Amino acid sequence: MRRTIVPATIVTIFIVAIQLDILSSLRFAGTVVMLVWLWPVAMGLAGFTGLAVYVALLGGVLVDTHATTPFGLTAIVGVLVAYGASLLGREGVGDLDSAAYWVTPALAALAGFAAPLLYTIGGVFVFNFELWRGGLLDMMVVNAIAFLLFARLVTRLARAVASVGERVRR
Amino acid sequence: MASDRSRRRALALAGVATFVVIVLYATGGVFSGLRTAANTVVEPFNWSVNEVARPIGHFFAGAVNYSDVVSQNQKLRYELGKAQQQSNQLWSYERQLEQISTELNVPFVGSLPTVAAQVTTLSPTNFAATIDINKGRDQGILTGMPVVANGGLVGSVLSTTPNGATVRLVSDTSSSIGVTFGSGAVDIVVSGRGVNNGLAATSVPLTTTLSPGTFLATDGLQGGLFPAGIPVAKVATITLTPGAATYNLTLRPTADLRHLSYVDVVLWEPSA
Repeated sequence: MRRTIVPATIVTIFIVAIQLDILSSLRFAGTVVMLVWLWPVAMGLAGFTGLAVYVALLGGVLVDTHATTPFGLTAIVGVLVAYGASLLGREGVGDLDSAAYWVTPALAALAGFAAPLLYTIGGVFVFNFELWRGGLLDMMVVNAIAFLLFARLVTRLARAVASVGERVRR
Repeated sequence: MASDRSRRRALALAGVATFVVIVLYATGGVFSGLRTAANTVVEPFNWSVNEVARPIGHFFAGAVNYSDVVSQNQKLRYELGKAQQQSNQLWSYERQLEQISTELNVPFVGSLPTVAAQVTTLSPTNFAATIDINKGRDQGILTGMPVVANGGLVGSVLSTTPNGATVRLVSDTSSSIGVTFGSGAVDIVVSGRGVNNGLAATSVPLTTTLSPGTFLATDGLQGGLFPAGIPVAKVATITLTPGAATYNLTLRPTADLRHLSYVDVVLWEPSA
């Protein structure tokens, strides 16, 4: 994992930049697509548990420094969905090669649907009871669709990033 | 076995990090400093990425001269917003005169100095309605200062860095503003309802003579968070629950919060 940390960090920072500079203003139905959650989910579905948790933490914390919402909540939700995805990924359930074509997008869509809900529930634990007011259902649906569409592409990217580390080791 | 161990180690690390984050959040003061420090560190990187990302965004928009058109459009919206704001403020001059005549001497936003700033980033999530601007402490902007644009109140400054600030929009769920209308006899609290849901006011007394289209402006009460007379919202619908003693209002912000490119920060501090 150590050798893949550097490329994973660079790609994660780039993804955070896309999140902040493009996706935050490119809204669908008034909703922001959370690429910083899709990235660790894809890394998890590719079977890299440690990396998935790491990129979820890093991306989440970087986004949280730019948001006024409870600090760390994006990271925690990212870690949860990434870890959940990685459990499936390690069993080969969401594998791009062996699983059916639709399985990876479907699992990612499920994560995209659940992540905003987890975020809202997480808000309750830090005494923020207003997070659901931001259009929770819209967020769940839009993110599920976006994750469905981009899951395979991002998972391929995740595998490529991990393989960079492997090549360095060889 | 080894992979199980590394997985456990990763989870343990995540758990510790989560615990640290929660402790920092709970301690408030330390957290605020951390956020400011993190923002200051990330800001230069964000600026450089922004320079790369903006053309990509324009590319996706698909027009050859799109960036010029957008830039002109933003400036025009700004000018239009200013004109709209002035127009919306006219009705409050009458009330202002009354206040002056009774020697209340409440400051009015039209006479206060402002700092123009460009919007650099919108909130990266849907869970908070905020914007980042490119002016900060070095330009005299302080936490709590009102921000106006596009026809009315946009929000207030939430935090500052030397050359940037975060503004909480009026539509944010944690935003509450004291407003009034007409002769200023009734004060109403307007709350944000989230990024896409505008504003609302509850518990408005039945004796209040409101109708759809009525403008609401900041009340400027002593110790309030905003100076008097900044247009905040227009009444969209009035709901009366059978048997209730109060109205509920659905409000539309007078400022166009969806197209914020430039804003004015009013150099006015809430009194202690």
